[in-house]
Amino acid sequence: MIVEAGQLALTFAFALSLLLSTVPLYGSFTANQRLLLLAKPLAFGLFIFSAVAMAALIYAFCTSDFTVINVAQNSSSTLPWYYQITASFGSHEGSMLLWVLMLCGWTALVAQFSKALPLLLQGRILGILGLISAGFIAFSLFMSNPFARSLPFYPVEGRDLNPLLQDFGMIMHPPTLYMGYVGFAVAFAFAIAALMGGRFDSVWARWVRPWALAAWLFLTLGIMLGSWWAYNELGWGGWWFWDPVENASFMPWLAGTALIHSLAVTEKRGTFKSWTVLLALSAFALSLVGAFLVRSGVLVSVHSFATDPGRGLYLLAFLLVVIGGSLLLYGSRMNSVRSQARYQLFSREMLLWGNNIFLLTACLIVFLGTLFPLFHKELGLGSISIGEPFFNQMFYYLTIPFALLLGLGPWVRWKQQQVMPLIRPLAMVAVAALIVSLGVLASMQSVQANLALLGMLLGAWVGISALAEVMLRLRQFGSISKGITKLNASHYGMTLAHIGFAVLVIGVAMTKTYTTERDVRMQQGDVATVAGYEFTLTEVYELNGPNYGGQAAELDVRKDGQFVTHLHAEKRFYRIQRTIMTESAVHARLSRDLYVSLGEELPGDAWALRIHVKSFVRWIWLGGVLMALGALLALCDKRYRRKQTQREPGAEHA
Amino acid sequence: MRKVLYYLPLFAFLALALFLLSGLFSDPRERDSASLNKALPEFALADVMQPDKIWTPSELKGETYLLNVWGTWCPTCNAELGYLTELRQQGVKIVGLYYELPRDPAFDAPFNLAELQKDVQQKLQQQGDPYQFNMLDIDRSLSLDLGVSGAPETFIVDADGIIRAHHIGDINPLVWRSKLAPIYQEWRKP
Amino acid sequence: MSRLACLLILLFSVNALCQEVLSFDTDAQRQLYQDLTAELRCPQCQNQNIADSNAVVAVDMRQKTYQLIREGQDRQQVVDYMINRYGDFVHYLPPVNRYTLWLWLLPLLMLLALFATGVYRRSRQTSALETPEVNTSAVELDQLIARYRSKKP
Repeated sequence: MIVEAGQLALTFAFALSLLLSTVPLYGSFTANQRLLLLAKPLAFGLFIFSAVAMAALIYAFCTSDFTVINVAQNSSSTLPWYYQITASFGSHEGSMLLWVLMLCGWTALVAQFSKALPLLLQGRILGILGLISAGFIAFSLFMSNPFARSLPFYPVEGRDLNPLLQDFGMIMHPPTLYMGYVGFAVAFAFAIAALMGGRFDSVWARWVRPWALAAWLFLTLGIMLGSWWAYNELGWGGWWFWDPVENASFMPWLAGTALIHSLAVTEKRGTFKSWTVLLALSAFALSLVGAFLVRSGVLVSVHSFATDPGRGLYLLAFLLVVIGGSLLLYGSRMNSVRSQARYQLFSREMLLWGNNIFLLTACLIVFLGTLFPLFHKELGLGSISIGEPFFNQMFYYLTIPFALLLGLGPWVRWKQQQVMPLIRPLAMVAVAALIVSLGVLASMQSVQANLALLGMLLGAWVGISALAEVMLRLRQFGSISKGITKLNASHYGMTLAHIGFAVLVIGVAMTKTYTTERDVRMQQGDVATVAGYEFTLTEVYELNGPNYGGQAAELDVRKDGQFVTHLHAEKRFYRIQRTIMTESAVHARLSRDLYVSLGEELPGDAWALRIHVKSFVRWIWLGGVLMALGALLALCDKRYRRKQTQREPGAEHA
Repeated sequence: MRKVLYYLPLFAFLALALFLLSGLFSDPRERDSASLNKALPEFALADVMQPDKIWTPSELKGETYLLNVWGTWCPTCNAELGYLTELRQQGVKIVGLYYELPRDPAFDAPFNLAELQKDVQQKLQQQGDPYQFNMLDIDRSLSLDLGVSGAPETFIVDADGIIRAHHIGDINPLVWRSKLAPIYQEWRKP
Repeated sequence: MSRLACLLILLFSVNALCQEVLSFDTDAQRQLYQDLTAELRCPQCQNQNIADSNAVVAVDMRQKTYQLIREGQDRQQVVDYMINRYGDFVHYLPPVNRYTLWLWLLPLLMLLALFATGVYRRSRQTSALETPEVNTSAVELDQLIARYRSKKP
């Protein structure tokens, strides 16, 4: 019954989304205020019904209702309850419903927090969001119904959740990532609404900024969680593989990063208008293209969903309507927009343009690297593969100028900056960066002209420069303690995010250079020495979990005779899915991770173990978290909230 | 000019959509073989049933034939045995290349030829025997040289020992008629 | 003192020291093996390199890579060996030819084109007639927002 209720709720949500995508838009063109006012309640209703549908699906998973095909294929009665909940979005059908729920959630948020917007704009934005929702709900209902039953014949036991997905990271990763993907729909809707009305200015940019920031925040966190999850679950110590699925999330992130920077220019200086709108369209368009790549099966990836050409065709048609339509609108409307601001060659405007150039080039590189094999093959030129060597090479050359520019950026004023006043502070930052990087590497007794040195230099340059710039700003208010409350939250946010980028660059360069990896054969009592750490295999024993068996290894780690930690690595065999999973043992410190995964049994009571000592690998995720925190800080900026506290008089007029 | 510039993103997207559309209708896992139009690599492999008999490429020359990579452990290979047997009855010469799996000392018994022969015999009696003979690729070295990624895979080798087709996956009537039979007919000596 | 302790530990633990699963003559060889197995693609898997895959063909390719390295072959020789058998598909870095050249060329062209656009647009703005500055301070912007709000849709 509950399942049918879920199906019904989703159908209602579809009806509401159809209304939302037609009524307010019609009202906006006929200046019918009553129709425009309907947008808000429709948006709330849409959210409630999609939430009910998701709840019904979770209920079906928690009660192990195997008459539902989706449940039977992705869950089992032996699965722990928390994984039964997450299994509800582990499949293509379930994750599509989660996607729909997130989209409706964002729509409701826009409805709630857009009281300050002119009613016309509000109606159009919600209408666009309704249109996108309608497309996805229809896809969920008609092409991949999560509630489909297999009556009268159904299995007594389910096929269990893919063991890869049975992990804490997997509980958090998809919802966060989808919040990010779908969040760019809001910026997209703002852009379309503005294209319809033809008004782009600082006000528009200020309205869009918090929404773009929020989406970017979630996407950053989602990508970081995904990387962390792969590191823990896949057993080979990798944190990024340039798989099409990863690239699908990286492309909108790069476009989104460019967008939040470009929005700053449009808000503060009223220029870069057509560019900002294009980025707002692209960020969401790339999210959609990413969803298509993952769900249509045009590319071979480690973790794409099961494929079906019908679904691919539907999604492609949807892309044509949404992206093609929006770009057509862009082409026809945008050439009438002119920017008026003036600025010199050496100005913050130009530096942010530089930032956008590099981010967009990075985006093109990821795009080509992901899709070029498809182009190559469809043109009849044969199969090729593009992976890590290509991306590493390209990003190496791109990161250097990008980081140099980033260290300079915050110091440069709008409109025009004299070179002379910057020379002294920046020279000091450069010297400090040199000292810090050489100092760190000297303490590791490894000063060489290598990637680590380059990464340290660039990271220190960006990080120290960001810190020094804030200090200088604060001192301009008199004293640092006085200035600390006067500086905008968004300025702190920017600084924190830039430091996050510095930390990320250092982490990647150090991990790539100093990771030591050994595959060893060990019996009980054996000692393996890797990078100065002595790993002693104390015990290997049989495991017996709720839905898996396998072996576990216990290791003691010592350094210079001192006990460091105890490690517990598992190799699980999931009985229902008949797959082997490695649960790596990780001991994390800021300067290094000890990472052990248990391999296969070897003749003579021995085991193969893969032991890594990964330098600074935590810094990669720490950098991502700092970037996300920076976005959160910027969101707290009172400039974005002032309009809500003062909204009452305006709301009456609207 | 300026006007056209603003339509550039649209054109780029439409071109992409075209590729994605054609991508939807092709198999992303299909890849072209590097072995085509090359001579069969050097090898000396024992016959599965008569291990004293050693096969070399020169002995296989003189007639166009199918080289079928298979193993009794592989369900897809067993499923195609029936159709391959039909092809044999139509006069197609088929040589088997037995793809033996590596053995994990922790779980598997060591390699035993007598057992393998029994397995093969049993399987061929049940499903049909399409093979003139079977060569045992025990360490999969010939398979690696041929660019085999798993079983089943099938090559068409012409009378001069040149590889003319490489098919990954099973052979069924559809695949045979549409893809392999034309090549086989072309290279078959009259 | 600590050096002595190290020596003692080394002496007493030497029996229990384990071997590597694959032994190499030099660290350079081990590094080469790790690099190569990371950039060769398993032809049977979804999208995995041969280091991370346990498919039979990946195991065989790893072994072959190890064997070739021990025979003293260099990176290019091993890559060519695999490409000869499995095609360009097997290497995660495609060969450079007149088609794949665009992989490197397009990003460069876009970088230059966007850079030129930025400079061109700026130069046009300075030569344009004096236009009212939209240099909005926070206060002005708030007033602007209030003005929009008071307008009817």
